[in-house]
Amino acid sequence: MMVSGSPQPPSLLSARLSAQDKKDLDKFTKFLALKSAQIIVQSRMGEKISTRCNPESSGTDWFNLAIKDLPEVLAEAKSAMNKGGPRLPLCVEIFLKTAEGDTMVLENWAVGVKPEMVDPSVRVTYTVYNRMGILLKSLVSVTRVTPAYKLSRRQGPDSYVICYKIYVGEPQLTNLGEGYNSMKVGQLSTPVGTIYLSVAYRTKMTISPQPSNDSSIMVKSDHFRPESSPKHGRPNSVDSDPLSETIKSGAFAESLKKPRLPPDFDPLADIPFSSLLSLGKPPKKASPSVTDTLVPDDTPTQDDSDNGNVTPKCPSLSDDFIMVDLKTPFAGSNANTDLGLFYRECQSAPQLEAFANDPPVLDQVGDLTKQLEAFETNLLEYDNVITQLCNADNNN
Amino acid sequence: MNARSQTFELEVEGHQVDEAVASIFHTVLFHRSLGKFCYKQEGSYSVGTVGYEDVDCDFIDFTYVCCSSYYLDQTLKREISGFSEALRGNDGPGSGQISLEFFQKKKTRWPFHTECIPWEVWNLRLELIKLNNEHERQLCREKVGELLTEKILYVADVMNRHDYVPKMPNQSELDLIFDTTYPDIQPYLFKLSFTTSGPTTVSVGSTMKKLIKETLSL
Repeated sequence: MMVSGSPQPPSLLSARLSAQDKKDLDKFTKFLALKSAQIIVQSRMGEKISTRCNPESSGTDWFNLAIKDLPEVLAEAKSAMNKGGPRLPLCVEIFLKTAEGDTMVLENWAVGVKPEMVDPSVRVTYTVYNRMGILLKSLVSVTRVTPAYKLSRRQGPDSYVICYKIYVGEPQLTNLGEGYNSMKVGQLSTPVGTIYLSVAYRTKMTISPQPSNDSSIMVKSDHFRPESSPKHGRPNSVDSDPLSETIKSGAFAESLKKPRLPPDFDPLADIPFSSLLSLGKPPKKASPSVTDTLVPDDTPTQDDSDNGNVTPKCPSLSDDFIMVDLKTPFAGSNANTDLGLFYRECQSAPQLEAFANDPPVLDQVGDLTKQLEAFETNLLEYDNVITQLCNADNNN
Repeated sequence: MNARSQTFELEVEGHQVDEAVASIFHTVLFHRSLGKFCYKQEGSYSVGTVGYEDVDCDFIDFTYVCCSSYYLDQTLKREISGFSEALRGNDGPGSGQISLEFFQKKKTRWPFHTECIPWEVWNLRLELIKLNNEHERQLCREKVGELLTEKILYVADVMNRHDYVPKMPNQSELDLIFDTTYPDIQPYLFKLSFTTSGPTTVSVGSTMKKLIKETLSL
């Protein structure tokens, strides 16, 4: 009953692939690649797809699947495949383009053949054709669940649009960023090799600073194209990028100077002000009068009073604590100092008001003279009190 | 029967039951449906085209694809809502299993009924969870969406292993393999069934077992 029998030795069967079968297989493979490109590109256009079942098909629908043909995509795919060289692997790269013109590659789909894995026993005209249909159905289903699908549904001319690029050659995966995922959509065996469909997609959608010793947290929307960064006048500007959900330009927009922050400062920390609660690092607990201790030596010294990175000037703080006043995102200009003050008050016992209102020393000395004079004039009175007390003792 | 079977487990909120089941079963049926066969003469037939459409879920951050066949969708909706009601009703047990079973019929001699032989079964075990606020609901929308993503990838993986499916029949035996009642599409014969069982029943059962065991050992 099994449809696919166990593979037989290729030596017996390789010759059995007739010229007609080979021609058919070539044709099927070509249309599999062309239809794959259509499915992928159409799934990223931002709209819901709906095609109708047709019970009385005239036989023009490849793989018995109603896939629309967009002329532009068809032309792109055909021109990529007809460049004279090998036709596969055919890659469809999906990338995001912001309104400013910055781009970020989101995923890379590939259709290819592994010639080393052959199954000479499968029937080309029937089995291979039907399995290609199943593979395309899997592609339709899988294109809806990778992260770029949701992004594509939210695209718009004011924020970003999703674009595609079709080329033949080994998939270029380096521009998918660190930690990208790859997976196989499906594969099928043919007498000339195993046809596969796979995808690699970006997992880090949030633009974040690269780990380095540089204390700068400067973040650019063209982070992934460092060679083009100097063209942009305002390096801090990320406001046009919809992906940078955790870093908004407002946080540092007041100042055009490079903000200087501790190297361990984590701009992506979920809790605002959380760095206030951590203890300062031992090498940096120098005397509080040195205001630049938090700035690494290699950073040029600047007046940073307007940049919000100020060491505390309050000598009453305990030594192991270094206060960092941060200008934080979303906060009003004074809100953070309130919290700083509150924290300082909690850090050590508050000063008694009695001490705070002490008069000057000279006044205190004058007071003493007056008091001594008063005591001397009242000396007789004190003597009387003592005598009375002595008498009272005797009565007891 | 040595039908291959796949079992998925999911924890969802009551509202999400219908969509969670539909997204997986529709994806399976999309792969297991062919275009309508149209016979011209014996031995010669043309195969219709399968259309598909995207469905956005209301209660899950998720989009899935199904065959664009109104009647197939109705069949699935009817069966799934029966399961959903049993699961979520006032005295609903809070957990249960719904199955999508593909089978082929085998003709037998009178007076026996036609024999149904399953060849592929998809089970989906659901456990209902209660959410306390909108924040938890939002997290659950995303989490269930991620879990369904895994399931869809797994379905695609299974479909591309090219395991056994019934042999293509000739015209007279077509309805032993395919459901030919749909006007626009031709799925392999399938049926849906469900069971619901709560944790209470399980504990009573195990208590009884324990009691009987103890009685016997005395």
